[in-house]
Amino acid sequence: MTAYIVRRLFATLPVMAVVAVFVFFLIRFAPGDPAAIIAGEDATAEAIAQVRAKLGLDRPFMEQFFIWILQMLQGDLGVSIFSNLPVSRLIVQRVEPTVALTLSTLFVAVALAIPIGVVAAWKARRLVDRLVMGFAVLGFAMPVFVLAYILIYFFAVQWQLLPVQGYRPIAEGFWPFVESLILPSVALGVTYMALIARITRASMLEVLAQDYIRTANAKGLATDRVLLLHALKNAAVPIVTVIGIGIALLISGVVITETVFNIPGLGRLTVDAVLKRDYPVVQGLILVFAAAKVLVNLIIDISYAFLDPRIRY
Amino acid sequence: MSVTSGNILEVRGLQTQFNTLDGVVRAVDGVSFDLARGETLGIVGESGCGKSVTALSILRLIPPETGRIAGGSIKFEGEELTTLGEEAMKGLRGHRISMIFQEPMTSLNPVLTVGTQIAENVVRHMGVSWRAARERSFEMLDLVRIADARRRLDEYPHQLSGGMRQRVMIALALSCDPQVLIADEPTTALDVTIQAQILDLMLELKEKTGTAIVLITHDLGVIAETTERVVVMYAGRKVEEAPVEALFAEPLHPYTRGLMRAIPRLDIEADAAGMRPRLQEIPGLVPRLTQPIPGCAFAPRCGFATERCRAEPPPLVDAGGGHTVACWEVDRVRASAL
Ligand SMILES: Nc1ncnc2c1ncn2[C@@H]1O[C@H](COP(=O)(O)OP(=O)(O)OP(=O)(O)O)[C@@H](O)[C@H]1O
Ligand code: SF4
Ligand SMILES: [Mg+2]
Repeated sequence: MTAYIVRRLFATLPVMAVVAVFVFFLIRFAPGDPAAIIAGEDATAEAIAQVRAKLGLDRPFMEQFFIWILQMLQGDLGVSIFSNLPVSRLIVQRVEPTVALTLSTLFVAVALAIPIGVVAAWKARRLVDRLVMGFAVLGFAMPVFVLAYILIYFFAVQWQLLPVQGYRPIAEGFWPFVESLILPSVALGVTYMALIARITRASMLEVLAQDYIRTANAKGLATDRVLLLHALKNAAVPIVTVIGIGIALLISGVVITETVFNIPGLGRLTVDAVLKRDYPVVQGLILVFAAAKVLVNLIIDISYAFLDPRIRY
Repeated sequence: MSVTSGNILEVRGLQTQFNTLDGVVRAVDGVSFDLARGETLGIVGESGCGKSVTALSILRLIPPETGRIAGGSIKFEGEELTTLGEEAMKGLRGHRISMIFQEPMTSLNPVLTVGTQIAENVVRHMGVSWRAARERSFEMLDLVRIADARRRLDEYPHQLSGGMRQRVMIALALSCDPQVLIADEPTTALDVTIQAQILDLMLELKEKTGTAIVLITHDLGVIAETTERVVVMYAGRKVEEAPVEALFAEPLHPYTRGLMRAIPRLDIEADAAGMRPRLQEIPGLVPRLTQPIPGCAFAPRCGFATERCRAEPPPLVDAGGGHTVACWEVDRVRASAL
């Protein structure tokens, strides 16, 4: 197993290398000349050339590329064009809210979706199933920002149970931190919960029709053991796959939720950097997001081997 | 209805039906039989005649979304099972009545170890610790002659051959010393040499434990070798019942006779591919079970059939010596050559 994990880790290196090359060229070929933007609207050609030299954009392409790669390997993602702060520092500053929001959303979604999907499959085609799945469809169809405003209106404005918006770092106390995450996590998690609940139901239904479930029932086992151990463990691989896809979707969703709830995370940093064409920051963020997705993929792959002994590694 | 004398199981007029798109399937339509303590009863019949549904009905494992026990009575040690509460029923399953299924390749859970799958049954019914249950699982694997049983406990089903999986199923089924073991075609999916080993093993264990066995098969050869009494089923009904010697000495139902001509006989040597020659199939098809059959269900395929056969269902009649048969033309059948 350890050998398998190490092997999988090494297999991610080429992927990351491809992403790095892609990011570099993407930014270089994107429309708009960063030097001209930075120099300002009425800048002379001379001033623009100066800025270009300062950024190293006047050097040969391959040279720029190798310098960039070398810096990156040292953990240096460059310097923001606007704030002059190192990109790595900007990212580290903004990472906590995003990680916290992603994990809490994931928690909300999975903690609701799996029981819902299991119960729906168990009571397939009965009232509970129809109600729960109808709810899931509704959740799936609801745009995140609409749900977010509805939640804010009731829970924050009308009933004043939770803060309207903003983020409280965990360093300022656990409960305020949790409170600030509840509404955004629910808003973001509902779509995602619907997706996982549906796949859980479908996967469970297939498993519940298998012969080994009849064997489990022929032992007189309690219903929860049959459902949660015998069936769910077999149904887990597609569910985990969808959770993985969902995390990728979540990362895009974070941009909207952070804006709506005014959370200073990577999503907001991305929006700001893109609007200002702060290329080093955008580059750094794409790399970080890509690395996060590769990591999630890796974890999902490894979890398959734990869930299903037939998967060979 | 008799008093529970020596019978551990009494099935009377069992009717099990499924709702399908084509209508109601009468999979089991009024089947009755008794199982004495420690006895081995065979149930034989072609594919689709309701053998598995009968077995699943006894354990009340008919999927409730589509099927139900529509009538009749099942008594286990005098207790009515058709109306027993679900929790009490769960207490019987795997404990006092257990079952071995037709498909060893798919009947074990692929993601749980063999040890867990046996031990959970023991924990469930014997109220012992997991540690003790695991020890019991080891003993059971050893008993069904799985080599290196201790190591096998931690293996998954995909690491075992079909024959070994069926041994595991037997170990599982017998792990709580059941009074009744229902074996639904336990060897059909296995190749011939393994078939004989598994049957021998079951009989040997039965001698040791005194468990009564209902052995379901479509193979009269297996019936001849292993059972004491036989129920012959056709289209969801019992058409003949007899002690095994009497059945083979003088089968009275034309369908049973047809089956006998079709026996892949155990005393005929298997060929190189392990297959015995298949002798003679009964011509015609099993009737669809969605329409009530007015007369004898076998009439369309029967060489003895008359007008009455098509109009009126033949009652089960006693032919003497514990031999019963449902056929209007039994005298003509008896007089004819096999
Ligand atoms: N879940 C179900 N839904 C609908 N019909 C069913 C269901 N289970 C069984 N049946 C029907 O009941 C009839 C009897 O099936 P059963 O499985 O008992 O046959 P069998 O005698 O065990 O045959 P085999 O030798 O193939 O195992 C068949 O016509 C079958 O189609
Ligand atoms: S009752 Fe008639 S049709 Fe049925 S088996 Fe006997 S002879 Fe054949
Ligand atoms: Mg069957």
